[in-house]
Amino acid sequence: MSGEEAVRLSASPDLKGSVLIVAWAEDASSLGVRAADYLMQSLDYREFGEVLPDGFFPMGGVNVVDDVARFPESKLYVCDSNNLVIFKSSIPRMGWHRFLTSLLDVAQQDCAVTEIYTLGAMISPAAHTVPRLLISIVNDREMKAALEPYNVVADNDYETPPGQKPTLSSYLGWMARQRGIPAVNLWVPVPYYLVPIDDPRSVKRLVYFFNSKYDLGVNFTALDAVIAEQNNRIARLFEKSPEIKNMVRRLEVGEGLDGEESERLANEMAQALK
Amino acid sequence: MGIRYIKEPGLIDPVMIAAWPGIGNIGLIALDSLRRSLHAEQMAYIEPYNFFYPKKVIIRGGELVELDFPASDFFYHRSSRRDVILFVGEEQPAEGGGVYAAGSMAYNMANLVLDVAEKYGCRRVYTSGAAVAPIHHTARSRAWAVPNSVTMIAEFKGYDNTVLMSDIEGRGGEGNIAGLNGLLLGIARRRGIDAVCIMGEIPVYLQGFPFPYPKGSKSVLEVLSAALDMWIDMEAIDELARQSESELTQLYEKLPDEIKQQLDRLKESTVAAAKSEGLITEDDKKKILEDIDKFFKHDGGGEQR
Repeated sequence: MSGEEAVRLSASPDLKGSVLIVAWAEDASSLGVRAADYLMQSLDYREFGEVLPDGFFPMGGVNVVDDVARFPESKLYVCDSNNLVIFKSSIPRMGWHRFLTSLLDVAQQDCAVTEIYTLGAMISPAAHTVPRLLISIVNDREMKAALEPYNVVADNDYETPPGQKPTLSSYLGWMARQRGIPAVNLWVPVPYYLVPIDDPRSVKRLVYFFNSKYDLGVNFTALDAVIAEQNNRIARLFEKSPEIKNMVRRLEVGEGLDGEESERLANEMAQALK
Repeated sequence: MGIRYIKEPGLIDPVMIAAWPGIGNIGLIALDSLRRSLHAEQMAYIEPYNFFYPKKVIIRGGELVELDFPASDFFYHRSSRRDVILFVGEEQPAEGGGVYAAGSMAYNMANLVLDVAEKYGCRRVYTSGAAVAPIHHTARSRAWAVPNSVTMIAEFKGYDNTVLMSDIEGRGGEGNIAGLNGLLLGIARRRGIDAVCIMGEIPVYLQGFPFPYPKGSKSVLEVLSAALDMWIDMEAIDELARQSESELTQLYEKLPDEIKQQLDRLKESTVAAAKSEGLITEDDKKKILEDIDKFFKHDGGGEQR
């Protein structure tokens, strides 16, 4: 496989100084993919290529999720008029360096990408009513300064704890730095009880950032409607169960829940919102 | 991508000794002790990108400062008696998330290691790891030697406290060596290089735990010392072995009496092995292992079982 092309392009986009947004499918609450989807629905986009799965995913069959056979996908889309490239992909299970090299080759050589963003969710113990933070990890000091006007938290210290591995987004950021491409890993803390469902507020936080920074003219009406619907359902759950309402209030003031309470809150939210 | 040389020392008729992590980290601890004892210097490394996922990211003030990969380093030592190349792999390149090397990545890694051995004209390659055995942790570990050619059998039969596979009761000279320790022997044979795997015994009830087992490492070092006709400072490994035995004995004392009695029978087994007598039967051994397994609920895995 190493000598074969890993990428198939159906067209070459005509871009200059473009921005690449990378969303991984296995993200908590599918945040990255939901945000990328919303951007794509709001802007004119077309698919123009893919990273082929062989060599990056085990070819021992398919996974079945929600009754449907799934196969890993790694697709490239372009929003020509906005100078935006979007890459939505399953996280490769092997051959990571070659996978990211292939992506960066396309980004540099075919799309003239000059900035890269990865999207991701962090699992948070906070309540859903707490405003969503946007946390950045940059591979370039100038990029950090460029993010300052956008209310982004940019001062985190972190080291991978023993027994864990860095994220693929960190790996991509590191490889982008070898090529002199500024890259930012964007993370939004998602309330833990919304992780298996959907967190449209976090989606909005990400989309809002790109809309502000790149003046995309995104229409937020549909996303606001999803947030309003989720608010209504949670309000009905609170009416039905004051205990759940009280648990959320405790999270709002920073009081922790015990294991049993946490589990109950997650289960009742899942029932109310699914 | 492949091997990167930091320096290319002139070496005369060297041998290579290689180790990767494994059960009890027996090979790795042995090689690390040897490296320190010899004050060996780094000469090269294998680029990690085609083999490993990063192991650690360091972020400071929101900036990605460093991304670390598992190291695969070559060291060298020159002496009037014997020039040595050491290879220390921090991780085995495993496809599909396993602990032991497997698949084309493992094959490529083994070939890169042997490329260095061939470039420097190594007359022999040693690998080192663990042999899971029905012994007690208070017993002295033996070293199992598995050469890749019959021409080496007589030599290893002659070393103290060293056994061949055919010396192990019930094995009939057969077994398998998992991961790169085994793969390297096979590929070396294909290239016409003599290679031998030296495995220090580790008690069967410790195989599923992340404890280092320096007693097994010491047995490996003793065989290497004899085979290379080289004095190796054992002070540090002796201290590690003492600490390890003391910690294991403390843990042992906390076990329920029933389990302890079962494990104590392994002391008889060790004596039996030394005398080549069968004081406990195969059925007894099976029962002991089943009980131990139930108690510890370990996840198994092994280099040589």
